[in-house]
Amino acid sequence: MGRYIAKRIGLMVLTLFVILTLGFIVIRLMPGSPFDDPNYSAEMIRMLEEKHHLHESIPRQYLTYLKGIFTEGYWGVSLNLEPMTPVWQVIGRRIPVTLTINFLSLLIALPLGLLAGTWAALYRNQWPDHLISLLTVLFISVPSFVMASLLQYFLGFKGGLFPLIYDPAGSEATRLASLVMPVLALSVHPIAMICRHLRGELGENMQAAYMITAQAKGLSLRKAVLRHAFRNSLIPVMHIIVPLFTNILAGSLVIERIFGIPGVGGLLTRSINAKDHWLTVTVLIFYAAIHVVTVLITDISYGLIDPRIRLGGGRHDT
Amino acid sequence: MILKALWQKKASRGAAILLLLLGLMALLGPALSPYSYKEQLKNGEGEILSHMPPKIPALRFLGIAQGRSTLTDRRLDYLEDESRYPAGSVLEVQNRRVSESGLAYGDVVVDYYRYMKVEEGRSFWFGTDQLGRDLWTRLWRGARISLLMAFLAVAIDLLIGISYGALAGYFGGKTDLILMRIGEVIQSIPNVILCTLLILLMGRGIAAMILALALRNWVETARLSRAQFLRYKNREFVTAAQALGVGDGRMIFRHILPNAMGPLITSATLAVPGAIFMESFLSFIGLGIPAPEPSVGTLLSDAQSFLQTQPHQVLLPAAVIALLMLSFHFLANGLRDAFDKKEEAES
Repeated sequence: MGRYIAKRIGLMVLTLFVILTLGFIVIRLMPGSPFDDPNYSAEMIRMLEEKHHLHESIPRQYLTYLKGIFTEGYWGVSLNLEPMTPVWQVIGRRIPVTLTINFLSLLIALPLGLLAGTWAALYRNQWPDHLISLLTVLFISVPSFVMASLLQYFLGFKGGLFPLIYDPAGSEATRLASLVMPVLALSVHPIAMICRHLRGELGENMQAAYMITAQAKGLSLRKAVLRHAFRNSLIPVMHIIVPLFTNILAGSLVIERIFGIPGVGGLLTRSINAKDHWLTVTVLIFYAAIHVVTVLITDISYGLIDPRIRLGGGRHDT
Repeated sequence: MILKALWQKKASRGAAILLLLLGLMALLGPALSPYSYKEQLKNGEGEILSHMPPKIPALRFLGIAQGRSTLTDRRLDYLEDESRYPAGSVLEVQNRRVSESGLAYGDVVVDYYRYMKVEEGRSFWFGTDQLGRDLWTRLWRGARISLLMAFLAVAIDLLIGISYGALAGYFGGKTDLILMRIGEVIQSIPNVILCTLLILLMGRGIAAMILALALRNWVETARLSRAQFLRYKNREFVTAAQALGVGDGRMIFRHILPNAMGPLITSATLAVPGAIFMESFLSFIGLGIPAPEPSVGTLLSDAQSFLQTQPHQVLLPAAVIALLMLSFHFLANGLRDAFDKKEEAES
């Protein structure tokens, strides 16, 4: 197991390195300079570019960049959005709110998904099952940003229940209230995924021989399901939780924009548009790192539970 | 037989009919309206008709989409002024109130078409956007382009995925190992990042979008195709064909593939809404196809900032995206069941 994990971590670092390199090259090949500002004179632009080594050849810049990262842990500074602030500081300030909405969504999705999945399995092929199946397909196929628009219009604007846009200057209570709709929009998809998975797993486990034994010994179907089948079904369902988190994180790229939340999500678009090169690369690395780490956790947890599985990967991402 | 099984299920029949309707509208919708998707519409005086409300004369009996608009906080003493409110444009005044300075204010419901001096008889069924472009034309043209991009992306995905998986599965051994490892490396890069980088590299555009949508999906198709080939390559009919001297290429495409298509078709049907989703997603983070060409994703994301004043501009593309995705999902579910049944019947 130790060797397996070491190998996987090695591969992970390699993947991140590949992404770093690809990201750097692509972003430096983009036409235009981060200092394309009509207020700057040509002389000023030249000076600024020289200061940030942007006038050198791309391979040379790449080597300087790598050297900075590996010898000093220096990832560069923001060029445009928050000039001269180290990029990780720019991102770091935005991580808490992003993680808050992501974890809250998962926290809400988990019990609701489990509840709905169990209910559907208990009443297989009766109306609760049909209703839940319908909702599941609806929730899986309607994208989170469409949900967000609908929530924003009907609950926020028409209903007046929650603030439409996040107000960073507002009080604690209003800020919390303005997180309700983004969290709801993000949790819709994971609820449906958890529910569908659990229903499938429970359905299979309910056919198992031990369920017949349990019922023969006098347990009601409901009790047998909750005490026995539910526990056995939980393990495979837990495996989709980690990939779901990556999924929610990708979704929040858009959801944060819709609700004006000052998280990491909006940074990608803004830094690309502003040609804030080092910031873009670092945001990409941030997302890639979370992705590969979650895949690693999933794979290791698979391996721990079932030693026969030593390969595979998270395939549930956006 | 597959089509018959599909037709018998209510959900997939509904989905198929809905898809046909949406497809038909995507094809014909733009031609039904006299306006182009990029022309900025103007009234007789050359003013741009920005944010016109929807007006569908045929729906008069329902009282909706009649081109009305509410102008909030207007001074009521101007109501008689025909240079501000052309004759017949004021329909109703709500929330009459008097300000501190003693002036009468209110919310004025107007016939926005008269208010903007639009010639009688001209109507924009879904209204116009901020730049005064007809939204009916743009919405259906956007649906057409989104569908086109999704279909082309899935076609590329299938073409590469099936052949790649076929090679891996049919030949097995080292070929299989190397091909699948390459696939794993590609899959370890998050899709959003791969798409972002590709679009940045190629520049925003329809071709870049199609490639971005197909860029990673084909690996999943390749996996599936490989699994199918592994399943079929040791069947009797393959051995028989081999004994008759059928070559590898012919074996893969003429003998095994037709048998292995079922799950691949289902997965392709599911990949279409996936591509539509991804296209809208990328539009939202600013990587969508460039203006003036519309897609459902760019329409939705552009309208987002006018949600409060122009909700229909958000709700219409949102509905089209949701309906497209829903019906493709139901269709795929139906296909899966139909293929499962067919397999059961054969084995």
